[in-house]
Amino acid sequence: MTTVSLAVALALYLLSTASFIVHVITGQASTRRVAIAFLACAFAVHAASLGVRAFLLGYESIATFQQELSFIACVMVGLYLLIAARANLTVVGALVTPLAFLFTLSALAFNAPTPALPKRLQNVWLPAHVAPAFLGYAIFAVAFCLSLVYLLQERQLKAKRKGDLFRRLPSLETLDDLNHRLVTWGFALFSIGLITGSVLAKETWGAMWSWEPVEVWSAVTWLLYALLLHARTVGWRGRKAAALTIVGFIVLVVSFVSVNLVFPGKHTGTFG
Amino acid sequence: MEREILIVGVNHRKAPLEVRERLSFDDGLLDQALRDLMALSPVEEGVIVSTCNRVEVVAATSDGDSAVEALVAFLARGEHLASEQLGKHLSVYRGREAVRHLFRVAASLDSMVVGEPQILGQLKEFYSRAASVGSAGTVLHRCFHKSFSVAKRIRTETGVASKAVSVSSAAVELAYRIFDRLEDKTVMLLGAGEMSELAARHLLAHGIRGIIVANRTFERAIELARDFHGMPVPFEDFPRYLQLADVVIGSTAAAGYVLSRARVQEVLRARNYRPLFLIDMSVPRNFDPAINELDNIYLYDIDDLGGVAQDNRDQRGREAEKAETIIEEEVDSFWRWLSALDAVPTIVALRQKMEAIRKGELEKTLATSLREFTPREREAIEAMTAAIVNKILHAPLTHLKQHDRQREAFYVAAARQLFDIEEPEER
Repeated sequence: MTTVSLAVALALYLLSTASFIVHVITGQASTRRVAIAFLACAFAVHAASLGVRAFLLGYESIATFQQELSFIACVMVGLYLLIAARANLTVVGALVTPLAFLFTLSALAFNAPTPALPKRLQNVWLPAHVAPAFLGYAIFAVAFCLSLVYLLQERQLKAKRKGDLFRRLPSLETLDDLNHRLVTWGFALFSIGLITGSVLAKETWGAMWSWEPVEVWSAVTWLLYALLLHARTVGWRGRKAAALTIVGFIVLVVSFVSVNLVFPGKHTGTFG
Repeated sequence: MEREILIVGVNHRKAPLEVRERLSFDDGLLDQALRDLMALSPVEEGVIVSTCNRVEVVAATSDGDSAVEALVAFLARGEHLASEQLGKHLSVYRGREAVRHLFRVAASLDSMVVGEPQILGQLKEFYSRAASVGSAGTVLHRCFHKSFSVAKRIRTETGVASKAVSVSSAAVELAYRIFDRLEDKTVMLLGAGEMSELAARHLLAHGIRGIIVANRTFERAIELARDFHGMPVPFEDFPRYLQLADVVIGSTAAAGYVLSRARVQEVLRARNYRPLFLIDMSVPRNFDPAINELDNIYLYDIDDLGGVAQDNRDQRGREAEKAETIIEEEVDSFWRWLSALDAVPTIVALRQKMEAIRKGELEKTLATSLREFTPREREAIEAMTAAIVNKILHAPLTHLKQHDRQREAFYVAAARQLFDIEEPEER
């Protein structure tokens, strides 16, 4: 049932991506509305599918790699729809949507049965750890897309290149302001996720910190984003901030993939 | 002698700025210049158009060759420009060429930046000056009004003017790629050139908040700042105010750079690296090009902005073609009107029309009610109707045969309309 709805959402992401691409190339206003409409439908189906599964299991389940990806994709899209309503960020949508498509696709492709959640993990600290951490990831993913568009616009402006496509890119100020706000929120949520995570670790494994691969990676990522936010206060805005946001997200993806697929520790779906 | 429209003058295509400047007409002296123009014997009507891109005299005449000569001398007036020196920069348009040129100018197809909207307003202004002095008559009234409607038609029917194309609009467009909104931004004008003033007006129209004006002549800075509700600052002090500005437009006549890379770096630090948009409108350049290497700085010079406009022009190639087709149509229609404007063809047409009416009515009557008339009686009736037509036409035809060509044109135009003699371009 949830697999079917996920497949529907996936198809809608694909349609939305195609419309975004047509819009970016032709600049037709109608294709933009179509893309947003598809995306909104995809989001509704995706969110409903996640909600139904949580209801069936009786608890929020973001246990497997696939479920994590699916959850992140859904939040990313919701977040994008939220900010796209305020500013014209179509080109950003043309990046967020295919990313969501890819995440959802891999969630479907690697679909594995959800293992039962061990009793000792069924406490308040698990959702308190997982929810903010993955919300943070989703926000960082959108910030990453914004930064890519920023670098594109910035390069075109410096090179004095013109064209209809570049006229459709949002302004540098819009992108930089949004990036700053998103990274701030993402960082706050990520930090909460780390704190509740260590409390959870203390509850279940007895130690707040045990040099788990995911813990080390998360610490590195946290430091990077902390550095980015600090650097902003001393004038690292614009291009440098965008570049650092991109580096931060790449580190995040590498850690996410390697922790889940390469060095599985206690954090993966096996619950050690 | 054939009635003719001609345009003699210099424009940006063949004449450099120095020449255009030397020939340009000061606003305060324009009315006198128009009167001087009318004093030239071959010139029947005249309008002077003097903008930064062109100084052109549009004239109606019946003696094209001597009018061209007189107009060249008129343009070279006080300036000791030898005719042959002026000659290579001079553009002369005659006949249909001249009409086409005027229409293209009005439609902004001949502008340095094609499609820029200012030229039409300027043209209207120069035309109404000539109209109020009385130097524009029937032919030029018609010709200018036609050019305005052609410009409007091209604006609505083609995409030539639909995009930002003037240098200042290009600047605004770029500002919107850097800044989210202009309402909380400040622009600084370094030097008070015409171009920078225009750019500032565009930015103001888009809601930019503050204007700071720095000029070598402080009085001019005050004047301009008052115009814009801005703040004048002495030129030497401008670096201290630089950190307040988000857009800086340079158009000073300085020989070297007034803004160095090191200075901008300091300014950036002072404004916590908020982005700064620099527009260099002057030649030689005011801002060191190396400034563009700095982060969060976007430096565009006049060529770069022209490049923006050039891009737009390429995109609008097909639209421009459409515009040229409209121009040709309108030139044709105007030309038909103008060539019919002579007294002789009008008199002929008028006579033919009356004769046709007389003949038609006569035949109808003779064939019906006056069927029994003898040939003699018929001849008498024939003679009488011919005499009536001649008597009625006598006064109008006398007025048409004016010696004053300008008045003649007026009467001819009126007669053609009153007697409904075919005017092909009337809708």
